[in-house]
Amino acid sequence: MILDLLQKKNIAVNVKAADWKEVVDKTGDLLLKAGQIEKKYIEAMKQSIIDNGPYVVIGEGIALLHARPEDGVKENCLSLITLAEPVEFGNKNNDPVKIAFTFGTVDNEKHVKTISELSVVLMEESAVDKIAEMGSAEEILEYIENILEQQ
Amino acid sequence: MRVLAVCGMGLGSSLVLKMNIEKVMEQEGIEGSVEVKDLSSIMGEQADYIFASEEIGEKIEHPAEVISVKNMTDKNEIKEKVLAAYKKL
Repeated sequence: MILDLLQKKNIAVNVKAADWKEVVDKTGDLLLKAGQIEKKYIEAMKQSIIDNGPYVVIGEGIALLHARPEDGVKENCLSLITLAEPVEFGNKNNDPVKIAFTFGTVDNEKHVKTISELSVVLMEESAVDKIAEMGSAEEILEYIENILEQQ
Repeated sequence: MRVLAVCGMGLGSSLVLKMNIEKVMEQEGIEGSVEVKDLSSIMGEQADYIFASEEIGEKIEHPAEVISVKNMTDKNEIKEKVLAAYKKL
């Protein structure tokens, strides 16, 4: 469940990042500090964007960052940052990025429920802009909880 | 309608895409399945359509028609593309 994973310590608001690599670093750092991933996971996420292109920007203003289970995931996890200034990833349809999620999964199944709930939240009208403007982790969590309760 | 939702690893964006395509199929009463795949494992998979982001779509070589999605969180875009695909079957 998304709210079991997305805890206050895994959210940072108004983060400054100069480029897409710093966005990956800063969302990844939240999971690294929580002991949920290894440092090499962050490098693997960057490499995946270099190899596969900026398709991680799945919708307008949203990056969904991740690597593979074998790239250094200790437990299933999810983090979120909102950016002080939007950042270009080079995605022609959905740039610039305003909010970025990083997730880690220990296998190909355990994250399905989390991502399913996340996609419900992100499909909400103007969810990205609303989350991007929120001033605290508490506010974001309450917003997500409300959307999921209506399902 | 058999659909593959494809991304680089078959973990993230393809899963979001699958959820959203399934939602439209359910709402519209379209029967079928949506399966998540990564780029390297689609060869030999039977499908009517492959849905993917534009970046990934360009890399796909498969007999099924590739439908690229610009914004995977845009209900209207997904609905339009799923319905158009279904009508062509």
